[in-house]
Amino acid sequence: MSDELKLIDAAKGGSVDAFTELVRGYRESLFRFLLTRCTSHADAEDALQDTLINAYRYIGSYNPQWRFSTWLYRIAIRNAGKLRSSNLAELGDLADDSADPLAHCIADSERANLWRSAKRVLSDEVFAAMWLRYVEDMSVRDIASVLERTSSWTKVNLLRGRRALEVEMNATAGNTGSEAYG
Amino acid sequence: MDKLANRLREDAATIDAEISAQLDSRIQASLNAIEPETARRHRVPGRRPVSFWLASSLTGVAAALAVIAILNVVDTNGPADVSRTVADTTVQPIELPAIDLDVEAAMLTGPLAQELEDLQADLKKAEEVVRGDVRIDF
Repeated sequence: MSDELKLIDAAKGGSVDAFTELVRGYRESLFRFLLTRCTSHADAEDALQDTLINAYRYIGSYNPQWRFSTWLYRIAIRNAGKLRSSNLAELGDLADDSADPLAHCIADSERANLWRSAKRVLSDEVFAAMWLRYVEDMSVRDIASVLERTSSWTKVNLLRGRRALEVEMNATAGNTGSEAYG
Repeated sequence: MDKLANRLREDAATIDAEISAQLDSRIQASLNAIEPETARRHRVPGRRPVSFWLASSLTGVAAALAVIAILNVVDTNGPADVSRTVADTTVQPIELPAIDLDVEAAMLTGPLAQELEDLQADLKKAEEVVRGDVRIDF
């Protein structure tokens, strides 16, 4: 049995320490992902907290046939979606891009961050698929499971996302304009 | 790895996602306040003492004996009561008054026959009018 499975078993038995150890390696990447999904830094923090609480509470339902990170991201996307829809409903027309947490969290660089462009030109789901593929190195099957979509949908939209971001990448290099996909 | 994949990975790494000590302690406090659903479910049977199961078994046996005893008592008195109940509830047939359906039919036939005659007369008149019109045309 792997260390991760041992920690999962201990967490199922009610060990907070085991759970903390289990998610230690995922927390930062989860938070980075949530910063791209939420409307503010505070929301991303809340979403991370909710994700970890829900993961601990329902760890008994975790199926080891999937990677633990796949399961964790699935919870994270649901929590971020809930927070985001409730915030948009509250803010209505007042919601704008100035609160975008990515704007404050990206280190100063000479070139534009492609993920900010991705947020602008891709739909939420395609953005998430691209992130899971290229940052988290997830397989198409795992991404489909996280997004609760079919593998075919995932493949097609990864391809569309790639094309859209290639256009954006070339545009920032001074070649062509952008086009929205997804 | 291709250029786009490299760029995406590098750009993701520039996003500062450091978890503050405050957020960390907040998460830890939340985790300590709850327990997994399965852990709670598994612990409940373990808390029950042996006397609980003994008492449950004795209650079950006592209930079964009581039901058997009641059924036996009912069996000894039952048949006579049942037959009496059946006899008492027999319903006598009621004779319905005979209705003279012919009278009602005769009353309805008169007006209907008159109506039929009127309709036939109207039809004849209409036919004559049409014939007259046809003759005028040709």
